[in-house]
Amino acid sequence: MPIYFDHNATTPLDPRVLEAMLPYLRGAYGNASSVHRYGRAARAAIEAARVQVAAWVGAEPAQLIWTSGATESNNLALKGVAASATKKSRVLYGATEHPAVLEAALALAEAGWGVETIAVDGDGIVDWPTYTAQLSAAPVCLVALMAANNETGVIQDTARAATLAHAAGALMHIDAVQAAGKIDIDFAASGADLMSVSAHKVYGPKGIGALIVGADVELQPQQRGGGQEHGRRGGTENLPAIVGFGIAAELAGEERAARAAATLALRLRLEAGLRQVPDVTVFAESAPRLPNTVQFGLLGWEGEALLMALDRAGIAVSSGSACASGSGEPSHVLLGMGLPREIAYRAVRVSLGPGNTDAEIDRFLSELSALRLQAAA
Amino acid sequence: MIYLDYAATTPLDERVFEAMLPFLKPDGLHANPASSHGPGFRARAAVERARGEVAALIGAEASEIVWTSGATESNNLALKGALEFRGMPAAGRAVHIVTARTEHKCVLDTCRHLETLGVRVTYLKPDRNGVVTPEQVLAAITPDTALVSLMWVNNEIGAVQDIARLAPQLRERGILLHVDAAQAAGKVKIDLRSVPVDLMSLSGHKLYGPKGVGALFVRRKPRARLAPQMHGGGHEQGMRSGTLATHQVVGMGAAFAIAAADFEADVAHISGLRDALWQRLRDLPGVHRNGPDGSAEQPLAPHVLNLSFEGVEGESLRASLADVAVSSGSACSSATAEPSYVLRALGHDDELANASLRFSFGRRTRLDEVEQVAVKVRQQLQWLRELSPLWKP
Amino acid sequence: METLAETQAAAANPFNYGTQIWALFRLAPRAGRFPPATPGVVLGKAGTPAAHSVLSLALQIDDGEVVDARFQAYGCPTSIAVGAWIADWAIGKRVAELAALTATRLRNELEIPDERAHCALLGEDALRAVVALMKQEPL
Repeated sequence: MPIYFDHNATTPLDPRVLEAMLPYLRGAYGNASSVHRYGRAARAAIEAARVQVAAWVGAEPAQLIWTSGATESNNLALKGVAASATKKSRVLYGATEHPAVLEAALALAEAGWGVETIAVDGDGIVDWPTYTAQLSAAPVCLVALMAANNETGVIQDTARAATLAHAAGALMHIDAVQAAGKIDIDFAASGADLMSVSAHKVYGPKGIGALIVGADVELQPQQRGGGQEHGRRGGTENLPAIVGFGIAAELAGEERAARAAATLALRLRLEAGLRQVPDVTVFAESAPRLPNTVQFGLLGWEGEALLMALDRAGIAVSSGSACASGSGEPSHVLLGMGLPREIAYRAVRVSLGPGNTDAEIDRFLSELSALRLQAAA
Repeated sequence: MIYLDYAATTPLDERVFEAMLPFLKPDGLHANPASSHGPGFRARAAVERARGEVAALIGAEASEIVWTSGATESNNLALKGALEFRGMPAAGRAVHIVTARTEHKCVLDTCRHLETLGVRVTYLKPDRNGVVTPEQVLAAITPDTALVSLMWVNNEIGAVQDIARLAPQLRERGILLHVDAAQAAGKVKIDLRSVPVDLMSLSGHKLYGPKGVGALFVRRKPRARLAPQMHGGGHEQGMRSGTLATHQVVGMGAAFAIAAADFEADVAHISGLRDALWQRLRDLPGVHRNGPDGSAEQPLAPHVLNLSFEGVEGESLRASLADVAVSSGSACSSATAEPSYVLRALGHDDELANASLRFSFGRRTRLDEVEQVAVKVRQQLQWLRELSPLWKP
Repeated sequence: METLAETQAAAANPFNYGTQIWALFRLAPRAGRFPPATPGVVLGKAGTPAAHSVLSLALQIDDGEVVDARFQAYGCPTSIAVGAWIADWAIGKRVAELAALTATRLRNELEIPDERAHCALLGEDALRAVVALMKQEPL
């Protein structure tokens, strides 16, 4: 039986979510914008899911815009805010952000915006004095920071970042894609103005995400046509996926503590085991991290090679973000934390789900020990 | 309720559902298709097979298909991406595009947005039947024209544009041609090997595939170049980032493969039903058929019958046909109950545009349903006309 | 056997109209016109085709009292319901009572939402046209 240790890349669909989606996949086929009865049933299902997802992250239903996924949410947040600004100023984003934020910021740079990374320390945590200085140096329009990193699992103090951003007159966007469902996320309490979430990271379907937008944030739509989502995002609503996201969010809220406890126990077992394997370095080991994520390197192994060797042994892990896999470049996250390239090249990420078992952890550890000896020999 | 709104959205074909299911089950192929491990490779293989299936229906190469979240995104990406790549208007550089007043809302909305950025847009007025001739397009072209965007089949009236004759003439002039084929795929023959379209938008849920997935055809030879509109991760040859929803693209692939295999039968079935409904209503006084009549000179897509009814008001007409799912105008604008902008663009008077219904037929529609609908329409029309002080028999 | 009108009244209400509006629209009692040369008929009209609403109200008056009524309407279901309601309500009324009916009362009686307020005004206008004629030449 293959072992799946890549839950930060994507999660399997929860059978309860699939169950909820089935009637909408097969039966109720109204275009939600049509006025007839099929259309009205679709509209009701979409609004019910909007309440579920909003409640999950502590937002108001009216603040939620459906998107095709987190990449679109992050793009819409950065470009939508920038396009609404009366004049171009600066955007700050964390050095370890997901490529969706990073590349959206670079697109803004091409359009004439000042964009700067926010430096992080060796643990991947925002360097607060530098960040504060950046905020006061010149006007900042928007700060984008992830609540938890997809590779290292490092958790940022986004509330602090938001307070400082607001004091400098900037808006705050939080990429909560990896954090939501694993740690407590509360849009209202976070002080954020915008927040991205995704369904397929929390046992929901792929192809659906959301952007939460605070009531007084001006956001210019990036996808136009049809007037859906109050004109903020055009396109026929992806009804089955929206329904699935609703249920997945509800379950993620109800079961968050149990899932976190289960994955943390597995992670601790894994880390205890890794400490017994010589030549292993766990990255950001002492930083606050997601309960399910460990990123480490094994001396003598490039991450890509170790990933492939583990894959041959029937264990699916990642060498970083799924998007950047195979690019041949070391993780920008680890480089951002100041790690030397040769160590960053070694990165392998294990991201656990509550369905994983102690036995799988033990098998992983024994495979890893065997591979270490193979490299040494 | 009888569903005659297949141009708005179609039910998922059972065969498509079966194809998608393995990617939705917990023990199935759930991995991220961008992951470089075994499960990821298997998901990616399914994505690539689907890409080939979509390409095959339109005579394209698999590598020319970019996955999107739907036709709206495809249209946005095509227009904004192409113009951004070629350079937006600036001092000393004018940019012009040509489109038609009867295009889908998302093309028109995108064009209006581009106008705010300095792009000049010509909105061509089609003839009374919805046809824009290639000559009309060529007459509108200026030295600044970068792109023409025209839909192959109109969603409200089923008018079919002569893309095959237009495309080579634009190619000769070095002007990009984008075609919105969301309503055309599977309904009219499309072979991009012989028709030099540069960009073409496709939708999954208009052809018995899932919602939330679409595609943009981007020609490789000569290469149509786009600036991406969604950044992050470099998926889809850098043209569109974001984790692919494996089950959805697999579903769209299966839907397009079925549409290719069943093309002749589908077209015969749905055009037969369309004609059957018209035969049962055409003798009524004051009923007008909008759009082309389907003759050789006026080609018509097989799935749409658009009618206007004299002497009655549109909202009451739709309300009185409560148990028939039809639409007035495109689904996107029907909630507003405004007269169809498409019919108005064709010069139809406001009252007739308001009292119009679009019937659209599909694979699951049966003849007995069409007969029931004909009876209902006749009954309700008579009732509303008895009520109407404007109706003079 | 169910009549057409009953079938219609029972049919689903697709746009979420108020219950009363929907029933009056589907049943439309007193819809139609009086036969030609019916004595004592006063006809009032309001609205225009361009505004998608025309209401025509015909009241048969005998000795200053409405004894029968008909209406015709071209417009949305709410405007049809307004015509149907007034035609029914008017029976037995005298000119002073007819003149006292306001759009506000129509909105309350039929629970007409804000965005359909114009339908109530249409009803008031048609009735006023009748009242004006009744005052000119008492029947």
